[in-house]
Amino acid sequence: MNIFLVLLKKEIKELLTKQLVLTIAATLLVFHVIGKAVGSHNKASAARNTIVLLDLDRTPLSARVAKAVAAAKTSLKPAPETDINAALAAPEHAAENSFMVIPAGLEAEVTAGRPSAIGYYSRFRRQASGLGPAIAASRIRRTSQAASAEISTALLERGLPGLSPAFLRDPAPAAEFAVINGHTAQVSLSQVIGFIQSQSFFFPVAVFFIVILSAQMIMTAVASEKENKTLETLLSSPLDRRMLVMSKLAASTLIAAALSGAYMLGMRSFMAGVTGLGADPSVAVAAAGPALAELGLTLAGTGYLLIGLSVMFCILCALSIAFILGILSEDVKSIQTMMTPLMMPLMLAYLLPIFIDMSTAHAGLKFLLYAIPFTHAFMAPQNVMMGNIAQVWWGIAYQAAVFAAFVTLAARLFSGDALLTLRLKLPGMK
Amino acid sequence: MTANTALEIKGLVKRYKDFEAVAGLDFSVREGEIFALVGPNGVGKSTTLKMIATILTPTAGSVSVFGLDTARDAHAVREIISYLPEEAGAYKNLTGRDYLDFMAIVFLKDKARAAAAAEAGALLSGLGPRLEDKIKTYSKGMARKLLLARAVMIKPRLAILDEPTSGLDIVNAYEIRKTIKELAAGGMTFLISSHNMGEIEFLSDRIAVVNKGRLLACDTPAALKARFATDDLEEVFIKLTQ
Repeated sequence: MNIFLVLLKKEIKELLTKQLVLTIAATLLVFHVIGKAVGSHNKASAARNTIVLLDLDRTPLSARVAKAVAAAKTSLKPAPETDINAALAAPEHAAENSFMVIPAGLEAEVTAGRPSAIGYYSRFRRQASGLGPAIAASRIRRTSQAASAEISTALLERGLPGLSPAFLRDPAPAAEFAVINGHTAQVSLSQVIGFIQSQSFFFPVAVFFIVILSAQMIMTAVASEKENKTLETLLSSPLDRRMLVMSKLAASTLIAAALSGAYMLGMRSFMAGVTGLGADPSVAVAAAGPALAELGLTLAGTGYLLIGLSVMFCILCALSIAFILGILSEDVKSIQTMMTPLMMPLMLAYLLPIFIDMSTAHAGLKFLLYAIPFTHAFMAPQNVMMGNIAQVWWGIAYQAAVFAAFVTLAARLFSGDALLTLRLKLPGMK
Repeated sequence: MTANTALEIKGLVKRYKDFEAVAGLDFSVREGEIFALVGPNGVGKSTTLKMIATILTPTAGSVSVFGLDTARDAHAVREIISYLPEEAGAYKNLTGRDYLDFMAIVFLKDKARAAAAAEAGALLSGLGPRLEDKIKTYSKGMARKLLLARAVMIKPRLAILDEPTSGLDIVNAYEIRKTIKELAAGGMTFLISSHNMGEIEFLSDRIAVVNKGRLLACDTPAALKARFATDDLEEVFIKLTQ
């Protein structure tokens, strides 16, 4: 029987406890339930798309404005009140949050060439939370744009009867082009940015989860063997110690990958519920697909391979460092604290590239970030899409060198007295 | 070193940064002997056993197991020894039988030999149907019996047992001592460490008393008692170590 498989099986049995599986299942369920609940609540909220209208002008123009607003998928509820305070206090409008007041004299004022403000009132509830107020704000914005556009149209029709108001309002529409690596395609800038951001958000989250989970697992595996003194028995066996190290690395990676997959499923289900988009984030920019492909922003086989390699070495680097930290841990209880030396560079590598444009960042900051082996994996998808292939390869080579250095150190520590005698004391540890 | 010497220790020293745990030990153990290492807490007994078990490296001196040097031939030494650490644990999420199967294959590698050893271990443990339960459900005594079975089931030439009956009740401790006696009668060599002088007297052919990392005396229980003119081995221990 292959001894490595025997060791791997034992490691998996030890790591994959019922409690762990239940915790993950519960997390998935909570993600799913929250996503569904928030999604259906927001849909219901959006469906209740009503604005109470107080038309104090009562002219053909104000009637035209009301018709245009209704055409913009907002249902108007005309109110008899002539004063906004009376409308806000009226019991029949108690459940309404959005009010529109067309002032008396609107038509006369705008015809005379003077602006006349239409009032929009939004009622905030004491216990307002969630996305309700944001949905209401968006409804008001949409209504205001429709009303204003309709008044412009009316004025243009009167003033310049021979010309199309739509043309007059936007005589030189923007034709947006994106240029990437010499490729040019006509596509909205917001769609390109949306696509790149969707890649730089979901991907690092998955990698972050895998790294944290696998690091915690391997540290627990090593520290609990030390604490339970099962390690001393294994070390006195005629087993190749490198095989012990490799079996722990392999088991932690396998379980972490499976758990991260589960987490990501939960996260996607949650995001799909909350945003109302499809489960796949790229659905939002699917319409721009051909243009994105023209720009070289879609990933081909080689691209996926490069990203996969970078992620693999990122995980291996984290595992080899975590293995050393596990060796230096006093016991399982100290693992949370012992994660700090790993968490700090990981957080920097994860968060900073989200907020900082690496192409214009300060040289010192760039050096710091690229010295962290995890940064290369987090940035791999963007670099592959942008055609920075050489940078990805250099990153992989650097990660491989860091991994080789740490795994050599781990194997050396595992083979010597240090395993039983060395202890790392961090500030705050007893 | 004579033909039937199982273990030979010469000038053994283990020095840590700020103290010397073992300060020049010399003794030897014959094949088939039950040899006890006794001394107060923290005098280097466990460190000595760990050096013999190849998991710590001596600072100076040498340890030879059946003619194999633990520093130069560590892997070969590991093929013929078995070490039971003090207060050792087992993998809590494995069943007793899974644990024996796993350890048998780790130590013996050969599938058929491992299966036979695991079967022998199952019998030696005396745990019967409880072997199918997870180790986390075992009492301390059951776990210790399982671990002792693990240590001897592979039929090592030298079994190194650190406090084999520590924390066990009278019945469990008695059963473990009986097992050790039976196996020694079959030719297995034992090096044990214990604080229980009754147990030491019952089990051991010879005793080495150590203090502050040095050997104070090494002889049979009867000879040590005669030397200090007493019938009580505990009195011998106290006179030697104080």
